[in-house]
Amino acid sequence: MNNQLTKDDLPGQQKQLTTALWPIAVARMLIGILWLYALRWKLPPSFDGRGETSLREWLELAVEHAAVAPYGELIESLVIPNFAVFAWLVFVAELLTGLSLLTGTLTRAGAALGLALSLNLGIAMLDVPGEWPWSYVMMAMWHLLFVLSAPGQKWGVDAWLTGNGTPSSTVRLLTSTPKD
Amino acid sequence: MTTTSPNQIGIETEAGQQKGSVAVALLRITLGVILLATWWGNIGDDFYTADGFKGFLDWLVLSGEEGGNGSSLTFFHDLLDATIVPVAGLAAFGQLIMEGLAGLLLVVGGATRLASLWSMGFFAILFLSYFGGEEWIWTYVLLFMAALTVFLGYGGRQLGLDQIIAKAKGSSFGGLIW
Repeated sequence: MNNQLTKDDLPGQQKQLTTALWPIAVARMLIGILWLYALRWKLPPSFDGRGETSLREWLELAVEHAAVAPYGELIESLVIPNFAVFAWLVFVAELLTGLSLLTGTLTRAGAALGLALSLNLGIAMLDVPGEWPWSYVMMAMWHLLFVLSAPGQKWGVDAWLTGNGTPSSTVRLLTSTPKD
Repeated sequence: MTTTSPNQIGIETEAGQQKGSVAVALLRITLGVILLATWWGNIGDDFYTADGFKGFLDWLVLSGEEGGNGSSLTFFHDLLDATIVPVAGLAAFGQLIMEGLAGLLLVVGGATRLASLWSMGFFAILFLSYFGGEEWIWTYVLLFMAALTVFLGYGGRQLGLDQIIAKAKGSSFGGLIW
């Protein structure tokens, strides 16, 4: 195909500025597994911890050690009284994020959801004893990287979604596909 | 040979790569800030001393019920005990210098390949040290992958000193420094 370039065709400086997508794709899949693995202690319909700290216990810890007072009050007054609704929301959001990142499907959308979840976790766990807040900073940063780059284009369904014909603007947006 | 035509299945797109490199620079700066913040906290806790290092190694294998981490890779801890404990003071001083230096280099994007390579080794050791215990082990997977991505992605060539150094001096020795 005459519109193909090889790395060897790029000017020297540009070669050095480009980034291999494969480590980002590996990280995307690992973080997808992370989200799915974390579901094991918040499975419906009981959402109990199955021997580990349960979702409800984590919420109670977030209230007890709230770093941002209004956030703790919100959890206490809105989330815990309506636990089942929010537990389902958390479960579905983490499931969708995990599947999106693991398979590289609509990766920008999945990463944006993962970014929101990571920031929420970071705020909730900031002052909880034994938690290392930088873990959540790192998680948020990875999801931001997935939003900014196109990790689903490597070993992902996004490459297939955008590889046949001209993808719609919505698909382009949700998959971080660059314009031709 | 890697093709860079857009919109083909499983092929790295050029536009994606260019965006990725800015994103990798942000990842690099985050990694550097995390290393520096932890380093600073550890200094306050007198961690980089012979006693601090030995205490940490003991805490790693102490069970969760006894307030420790309860790491499960005993062969690795035997290795650390045999190699680090006899020279704990020297090892602690080396860690003090290297951890601070790597954090600083990653923040400014200087000698990024070397700093991220060292960080990969550091996070791999931490992963093995904490494995099977109370610590959330995914933290070290995230950190290791970040260092690997910064290394492979020449993380200092965007928003970093390496961009200037590479322009002035060309490639470093085998590309291992910047």
